[in-house]
Amino acid sequence: MTETIARAVPPIGLTLRSLLRADATVLLRSRQAAILNLAVPILILIVTNRGGKLGNPGFLIGMALTYGLLSSALIGYSITVARDREAGVFQRLRVTPTPTWAIMASRLAVQLVANLVVSVIVMIVGSIMHNTTFSFGVYLLMFVVSLLGAVVFLSIGQALVGLVKNATAVNAVGRVLFILLILTGVLGSTGILGDDFKSFASWTPVGALINLFSAVLNTSAWGADQTNGIIACIGYIVIFAGIGIRWFRWDPQ
Amino acid sequence: MNEAERPTVLEVQDLVVRYGQQTAVDGLSFSISRGEIFGLLGPNGAGKTTTLSVIEGLRKPDSGRVVIDGVETLHAPLAVKAKLGVQLQASSFQSELTIEQIARLYAGLYGLSLPQRQIRERLADVGLQQEITKPFKKLSGGQQQRFSLMVATIHNPSILLLDEPTAGLDPQSRRQLWDRIEGSRKRGGSILLTTHSMEEAQAVCDSVAIIDHGRLQAFGAPKDLVAMHRDDPRVQAVAHGDVTLEDVFIGLTGSAIRD
Repeated sequence: MTETIARAVPPIGLTLRSLLRADATVLLRSRQAAILNLAVPILILIVTNRGGKLGNPGFLIGMALTYGLLSSALIGYSITVARDREAGVFQRLRVTPTPTWAIMASRLAVQLVANLVVSVIVMIVGSIMHNTTFSFGVYLLMFVVSLLGAVVFLSIGQALVGLVKNATAVNAVGRVLFILLILTGVLGSTGILGDDFKSFASWTPVGALINLFSAVLNTSAWGADQTNGIIACIGYIVIFAGIGIRWFRWDPQ
Repeated sequence: MNEAERPTVLEVQDLVVRYGQQTAVDGLSFSISRGEIFGLLGPNGAGKTTTLSVIEGLRKPDSGRVVIDGVETLHAPLAVKAKLGVQLQASSFQSELTIEQIARLYAGLYGLSLPQRQIRERLADVGLQQEITKPFKKLSGGQQQRFSLMVATIHNPSILLLDEPTAGLDPQSRRQLWDRIEGSRKRGGSILLTTHSMEEAQAVCDSVAIIDHGRLQAFGAPKDLVAMHRDDPRVQAVAHGDVTLEDVFIGLTGSAIRD
């Protein structure tokens, strides 16, 4: 008989399985968000493929990948968490014998996997659109950089929902932040705003990640910018995850 | 087993909860026995929901303690939560999940690996067999309450905490809900509920506590409270005819409207 009267603390494996299944279902049902997260990076690849003068394939695919990660991890994650917090979904989960770390770990894990799936699709489409073939090693490195990027942007998203409580405000601030990050990172990395700004941009989350993706696709380009990029990414993860964990509030009010 | 011999399931001792300078719960103590339906009554802002939040483990008290089935909430919060069934004032579940998926999730969170057949049986028990593919928000008010209660009792808790369970329900849904709560009591569960309906409290609760400004004003069986306060001038001043629990409540907590 599978049914028992639960008295002791439930096994963490069953708890995590239940949460992961539910969170994955929620993500799969949010088709509109999934399509948008995938459609825009692919659109970037299509548009940049037309002119052929917008940059090298490494930079352009890196930009598309970064955009996909940023929109999904920062906007998608923070808005969903803020909305569920405001609706009392977390409050309902917290009255069950579930550790709070498990609730958040499940959400982050599902989001991370979704980001990596988007990255793989963008990589494949990017290589087709730009007539480039990548070795398995390059795919693997891009996967690692995608993972790093996803963690950076999820940390920023976590800090956002830690510092801003209201779901509408999280949405608004998240979108402003999104535009600022994209503009400083992308415009700075192209160099059209000058060398000083390019140097500054290489330290921003988006700029650092574009540099890393570009370098992975063209290993000869690996240099100080990329090393700095890794240092910057780790720094952002530590700072923003710290803020997000320290100031996150579970209750709706 | 008479009432005095029933083991204590929940014990709240000298509970104090403050929000900044304001004291929401001020030295509250009460206990609930196995199989007892206990009503926590009070006007808006009296400290009922705050008290429930502490028992549910959502808030830490500034002082005092809560013991459930012999386990102190602060010492083993997860073990205590496993013994509780909770229906919050405004239950909310993930809007993208169907009620079948929600039931499966919560069964898992309480350590029950229920097969689909059993999940569907539970849903059929509360008359939701036709609604299994619907999200929670698409259910009617009565269906939402039945579903929330089903989720709260999916693991046969020692004690069920219900925050205004019948608010907004029509008489039929209210009656059905009480039948289910009574069923839970018959299976040995205890129930702690808050309600603004004094008729309901008088009809279904074995004992009630009237609290105001976070302090206990009166405690006992509804009929005993009525008998005890029948001649209280504050109660006499608000009574129309036979003294009821509502007269006692208004007499002790005042007629001023609370927000």
